[in-house]
Amino acid sequence: MFFQTIADNIADWGPRLLAGLRLTFSVTAGGFCLAFMLALLIEFLRTRRHAAVRFIARLYIASARGVPILVILYLLYFALPGAGITLSAVAAGTIGLAAVYAAYLAEVFRAGLHAVPAGQREAALSSGMSPLQAFRLVLLPQAVRHTIAPLLINLVSLLKDSSICALIAVPELTLVSRELMSESFLPLHVFALTALLYFGLAWPASLVARALEQRLHQQGQRDSGRGKRPVVEVAAVG
Amino acid sequence: MSDALPGLIVEAFFAGALVTVKVTAGALAVALAIGMTLAAATVLTNSRMLQTAIRIYVEALRNVPSLTFLFLLYYGLASLGLRLSSMVAAIVGLGLIGGAITVDIFRSGFRSIPVGQSEAATSIGLTPFAAFRLIVLPQGLRQALPSIGNYAVALVKDTSLVAAIAAPEIMFNARQLVNETFQTGLIYGSVALVYLVLTGAVAQVMSLVERRLETR
Repeated sequence: MFFQTIADNIADWGPRLLAGLRLTFSVTAGGFCLAFMLALLIEFLRTRRHAAVRFIARLYIASARGVPILVILYLLYFALPGAGITLSAVAAGTIGLAAVYAAYLAEVFRAGLHAVPAGQREAALSSGMSPLQAFRLVLLPQAVRHTIAPLLINLVSLLKDSSICALIAVPELTLVSRELMSESFLPLHVFALTALLYFGLAWPASLVARALEQRLHQQGQRDSGRGKRPVVEVAAVG
Repeated sequence: MSDALPGLIVEAFFAGALVTVKVTAGALAVALAIGMTLAAATVLTNSRMLQTAIRIYVEALRNVPSLTFLFLLYYGLASLGLRLSSMVAAIVGLGLIGGAITVDIFRSGFRSIPVGQSEAATSIGLTPFAAFRLIVLPQGLRQALPSIGNYAVALVKDTSLVAAIAAPEIMFNARQLVNETFQTGLIYGSVALVYLVLTGAVAQVMSLVERRLETR
């Protein structure tokens, strides 16, 4: 009966849910790309020598992590027009998500760089590389390995949090499903279907992220040779 | 009107913050209870079926947006005749989502205690359950605490979502106040500050607890 009702309505619901899904996609993708670039900027600022610059970067991260996304979206969408800046709902949603996730991704980047032993940089510098070369050729390739899984996990979180954009009237998947609910009075069917769509997108990414994490963890154990091998072959990593 | 505004804001925020704290505390209690029970059960029993059931629960709730799940719980169950109040739906919904997060935290906490310890405990005559309760649990909880703290902070922020199912917490009250006064910048700006204070307080309490346990 449950599936019969869904089958009866899918001709109407399907195209509209897909339209919502498309917007969910673009908000997620746009938000993630923007967050990625912002995070690089924040991480760059945080490693500068000026204490004031570092403080600003840290303040940004602390406030972006301490305030709910919903509040930030409301500020961007409802309060900014008061200051003369009017954003469309989609723009406000994308920018808001990016602003929050930039703080998270900055932490990911930092953790990635910290995961590379300090000796690597010292060895690169002492073998005659410039600091930039050491960063580009030695540190970055190793740091990237440690950031891919957390980046993917953050992407999944961002996808889930894009549903919050429904509350500032971005017609993405969750808002579409709420509209369908109020038309059809079939909340259970509509939201179960919506949940399934989100799950279909998020779960594979979560699985890949976990597999990557596990592999890295095993590699880490092998590299540090817990108890079995002496730690000598640092250069063979990769 | 403008004279009364600060008073109105304080009043609405205080009532809202109370509900936010209630929802946070309730959901945290539910999440910790679920997480700890399931994690203990997996460590103690090794039953394949239980592992699979927990895996399904965790994957299902961690890959669906909280908002969608809250709607499903609040509106979906009502259509089946089970009408939850918005507060109950908020606490149960966030608690169930949280359980899926904390079960993994507790499990890796328990797993981080070397097997040799519980083997040693059982070999001197403790039952497996006693070994778990006296040896693994206290150490595992300490391991899990930093991640639980992070989760608690995230939970405070997630309670803002329950405004969408009409639970009268800070965000909900703020929105109503905006509808009456149109002071969007002032009100939502203050909301942000209130949340910063709340999340900061939770983080502080958690790190205090952590330090307290470390020194012992």
